[in-house]
Amino acid sequence: MGLLTIFISFLVYAGIGAVGFSLVPRGEDQFVYRTAVALTFTSTWLMWAITYLAQLNPLVVPERTWTLHHAGAGDHSSSIAGHGL
Amino acid sequence: MGTLWRSEEMSMVQLYIPMELAQPTVAEIGELGLIQFRDLNPDVNAFQRTFVNDIRRLDDMERKLRFLRAQIDKASIKLRGDPSTVAAARARSQLEVDELDERLTEHEARVAQMNASQETLNKRYLELTELRHVLKETNVFFEDAESRSEEIRNSGQQEESSLIRGAQDEPESAEEGRATSRGANLGFVAGVVPRARMGTFERILFRALRGNLFMNYAEIDELIRDPVTDETVNKNVFIIFAHGKEIIAKIRKICESLGATLYPVDGNYEKRRQDSAQVIARIDDLKHVLDNTTFTRRSELVKVAETIEVWATIIKKEKAIYYTLNMFNYDQNRKALIAEGWCPTNSINAVRYALRSVTERTGHTIPAILNELRTHKAPPTFHKTNKFTAGFQGIVDAYGMASYREINPGIFTVITFPFLFALMFGDLGHGFIMALFAAWMCRYEVNLSTKKWGEIWATFFGGRYIILLMGIFSMYTGLVYNDIFSKSMNLFGSGWAYHQENNSTAKWVGKYEHTYAFGVDPAWYGTDNALIFSNSYKMKQAVVIGVIHMVFGISLQILNHLHFQRPWYILYETVPQLLYMLSLFGYLVFIILFKWAVHWQNPSEAPGLLNTLIYMVLSPGTILMQLYPGQASVQTFLILLWLLCIPWMLLVKPYMLKYEHEKHIAAGYTNLSQENLSGGDTPSASMDVDRNAVGGHGGHEEMNHEEHFDFGEIMIHQGIHTIEFCLNGVSNTASYLRLWALSLAHAQLSEVLWDMIFVNSLNASAGLGSFLGPIAIVIGFSLWFSATVSILLVMEGLSAFLHALRLHWVEFNSKFYEGQGVKFEPFSFESLMAEEEAE
Repeated sequence: MGLLTIFISFLVYAGIGAVGFSLVPRGEDQFVYRTAVALTFTSTWLMWAITYLAQLNPLVVPERTWTLHHAGAGDHSSSIAGHGL
Repeated sequence: MGTLWRSEEMSMVQLYIPMELAQPTVAEIGELGLIQFRDLNPDVNAFQRTFVNDIRRLDDMERKLRFLRAQIDKASIKLRGDPSTVAAARARSQLEVDELDERLTEHEARVAQMNASQETLNKRYLELTELRHVLKETNVFFEDAESRSEEIRNSGQQEESSLIRGAQDEPESAEEGRATSRGANLGFVAGVVPRARMGTFERILFRALRGNLFMNYAEIDELIRDPVTDETVNKNVFIIFAHGKEIIAKIRKICESLGATLYPVDGNYEKRRQDSAQVIARIDDLKHVLDNTTFTRRSELVKVAETIEVWATIIKKEKAIYYTLNMFNYDQNRKALIAEGWCPTNSINAVRYALRSVTERTGHTIPAILNELRTHKAPPTFHKTNKFTAGFQGIVDAYGMASYREINPGIFTVITFPFLFALMFGDLGHGFIMALFAAWMCRYEVNLSTKKWGEIWATFFGGRYIILLMGIFSMYTGLVYNDIFSKSMNLFGSGWAYHQENNSTAKWVGKYEHTYAFGVDPAWYGTDNALIFSNSYKMKQAVVIGVIHMVFGISLQILNHLHFQRPWYILYETVPQLLYMLSLFGYLVFIILFKWAVHWQNPSEAPGLLNTLIYMVLSPGTILMQLYPGQASVQTFLILLWLLCIPWMLLVKPYMLKYEHEKHIAAGYTNLSQENLSGGDTPSASMDVDRNAVGGHGGHEEMNHEEHFDFGEIMIHQGIHTIEFCLNGVSNTASYLRLWALSLAHAQLSEVLWDMIFVNSLNASAGLGSFLGPIAIVIGFSLWFSATVSILLVMEGLSAFLHALRLHWVEFNSKFYEGQGVKFEPFSFESLMAEEEAE
């Protein structure tokens, strides 16, 4: 886990990028579209990696204050089920 | 390397066109749209140019077209013509244009004639109608007066009225009324006057004639149409009885002056009846003729309307051709025209082929010839775009047209722009709606491109591919931010486990178990300290992405320097700039990533990065909280490097230029450069096409500077550049924080709309019962949805668009982009037609 995931995901994204590269049809605009594919996968991987890295070693923990309405509402010690979809 | 990477290579071409081929050749070139012609007769007055007469003739034809078009509009006939076939219309030869001229003249003459005759007929019709009314009403008067004369006669007391005396004498003609037959004394005047003037009319008559008249009038029920002003007027029929020729003459004059029309009416009843019948018959005839004329005119106009658009296009194109021909030089000896212009090097063959086809088509033996010329002039910039890339290139060009052959930021903008937008807009739901809207526009673009729904729609439609990409990227960033209409999704299992703190309070605290697989953990949704985490995360992300974007921009300079063959500029400028950015802000990115990657046993020991950076600059070597061992020396080294870059950027380039310049003078190259200067225009450093002429090494452009190698000027210029770069280094990095700021605003707005509008309506509906409850929900949902679309999609969308654009224009482009180019505007019928459409 951890940093290794980042490297693995890089390879995954790069792989998808390579597939994208080969799918671009030959023609005078091929360079443009290949650049676009490369930039897409660079930027999307970067964003994912930064988000992952930011949560790897958290320095703040989530705290929530339940209102009295919810206070006795069963066992929430497992993964949160509450407000998320 | 591909279309958008650099602008296309352009060559200056020269065309020799024999006179007979002039018009078809230029027409063919207009269809191709590949050559931008230079005006070879710049000092010649517009009226003295060669083809002035042809243009005048075409102007005349346009005038006739306008006349016909106005007539068609007035008759409310719809113009027909499929726009695509209309745009493709062209005259194949001079003969066609002449024919068109004839036809237009013919049509115009016919329509004008029919208009004139219609007018005359209308006037006649009007007069006859009025006459009919006059005859009808005066009948009534005569009968009226005649019955009254009976009474008066019977009473037998009046002596002054010579009006009735005659009646006494000849009783058998009493029914005829007092007419001129009675005696030379009595006369009458009958006619029609506008109702509005009636009062004035009566008063003037009374005053002028001192009451010696008898007047009667009746209103005409139907509204009369005045052919001159085309309005409907209310009119009255009047008849005035007076005796004496003088008085009658006076009355006539007064009538004329007041705009009353006089009609001859006979005193005799029989005559009047005959007249009436005649008038009615004539009115019928006239109506018949009038209808016929209208019908013929209309059918003529319909026929014209079918082809008028095509003719308009042909004439427009011909005019453009002649304007272009006026720019050419006329060679007397060979009876040929010489044209000069810019053409993309790759398209020269296409142009040659077109010229050949013209020769074959017209059957002439002498072809038009195309030569390539060498020149020092700066070529225009031409980026070959397709419908997808055109929008992105457009927003780059709006900042500044790329200099000839420099790296085009447009190729990167295709992805970086939607990405930076998405960082500020990130919401899966909103992105989805945006992408859907754009997809609709793209899918039906053929139909939608002809709609004229206003300028705002045209702007959105023109940027449909940009919006599509923005929407798709926003969906991705929405997934990463875990935000869909302000709610979070738990797709992969949250990495936090909640447990009650102290087992008695209502406060629940999370314990870290693993990292959420994709994006922000849903456990943060609805927590009290969600913003503490998200602000820190988004700010750092903004800085990381910003620094990467800017460093990328600086690195692009390397490619430009290599291409324009000045590789040592890399050492003079690019390297110090890179080191400047990297030693401070690259280091910042490093410590951000480092602090994230390291597992801190005790969170309170994790150093604050802001303080780290501040102390690094203010007092290097002092470490308050250590990030990694050896930090002090690393930071000191980096600060020294950073400081070193400033004089490096400031002094190296000017002194090296001065050194090169002195070396050249010493080697005696001055004379050569003087000659060179006569051919070239712009001494700017980047755009000479033919390098081979002058040895092709980096000091080349100084040759053009030779006369004005002003060290002081170069030094000042470099000083400004350095200060600008150094200050911008800090401010631009901070500027990227808008990526954080806007995404925070978007998320908060989204949450507010949800909580305040929709949740409140849900709560309200709970108390309203089973009938009103759903209604409340429907209302609440529509309010929420319309607020979402108008505030979050439109307003926030435009806002994020603008900020992403600013980031590209200022922060990114200033790192490498010159943008001093001129746009390539070829002579093209397509753009001519598009211009017309836009008007």
